Amino acid sequence: MSESASDVDVVVSAPRRHTARWAAITLGVVLLLFVAVLATRKSAADKQAESPLLGKPAPSLTGTGLDGSQVSLAAMHGKWVVVNFMASWCVPCRDEHPELVKFSQRHEAAGDAAVLGVIFDDTEPNVRRFFDQLGGSWPVVSDPGGRTALDFGVRGPPESFLVDPNGFVVWKGIGQVDANGLDKLVTQGKARGA
Amino acid sequence: MKGRLPWLVMGAVLVVALVIGAQGRSGPMTEAQRVKHIASEIRCPTCRNQSAAESDAAAAKAVRDEIDRRVRAGQSDGEIVAFMVSRYGSDILLKPPSSGVASLVWALPVVAVVVALAGLAVAFRRWRARPNVEVSAEDRALVERELERERA
Repeated sequence: MSESASDVDVVVSAPRRHTARWAAITLGVVLLLFVAVLATRKSAADKQAESPLLGKPAPSLTGTGLDGSQVSLAAMHGKWVVVNFMASWCVPCRDEHPELVKFSQRHEAAGDAAVLGVIFDDTEPNVRRFFDQLGGSWPVVSDPGGRTALDFGVRGPPESFLVDPNGFVVWKGIGQVDANGLDKLVTQGKARGA
Repeated sequence: MKGRLPWLVMGAVLVVALVIGAQGRSGPMTEAQRVKHIASEIRCPTCRNQSAAESDAAAAKAVRDEIDRRVRAGQSDGEIVAFMVSRYGSDILLKPPSSGVASLVWALPVVAVVVALAGLAVAFRRWRARPNVEVSAEDRALVERELERERA
């Protein structure tokens, strides 16, 4: 019985092709799993950020405001409070500031929600100038030594936390916030009966 | 036995190196050393790939100060690290945790090395077991025939 050259090739390379096929299938499955994991992860741009503080009582926050008065988060219980970590050198803080002004003004009359600013790695004179330029009349405390930022697990401004009237952290946002988004969070929180 | 001697020597060197590497420092650490040691395991919050011990950033200094305060208050290393994780989450640790999904970071390289070594062992055995191939007159004739057919 005579075999042609192509028949010989097929017989010799069959096991190798078999191995290659399995290797390709395995690699394909691994790549698919990898893509599936990445596709189901939250986008880095997603404003709702993970925090171990969510659902827990907000860390203690006290300090002296820019006007010299004593400021305390505990004294604001009964209101929804947006704790906003900011700095005058931070461009997104500058961009989000008008939205915080809008949010603050919308809730001023009802007194159901307020903003509390915390200075992150900046000086009081710089922040005072920032508020003089851009408006806003909510209390702002400095954070010498960065202990408050550490207590809230802040990595860099702007970062905001929504604290419910009972003093629990219900939301953390990294990056700029907007007034409508904050209103929606407060409305949702009220609907849940917080 | 002679052929296995280099492997045995290499194995012995590896075990000795691992034992020496795994041995901790002798004697208790001072408070300052403990602060530095714990801070070296914590990521600087504002700078991605530096430890809080190395960075000059204000946030890294705040982390060092907090560790210092807690060391002086008599807390254990584990308690201090747990506090940091309770504020920032587990990604504040430079070394991924050894439990949960993050443990894959530790397990996968080990699995990869074991699979690679097993693959090498199988390949070596197969190469060694392969009989010497000699070209017979029949093979030569077959090749000649095929070449002739190509030329025709």
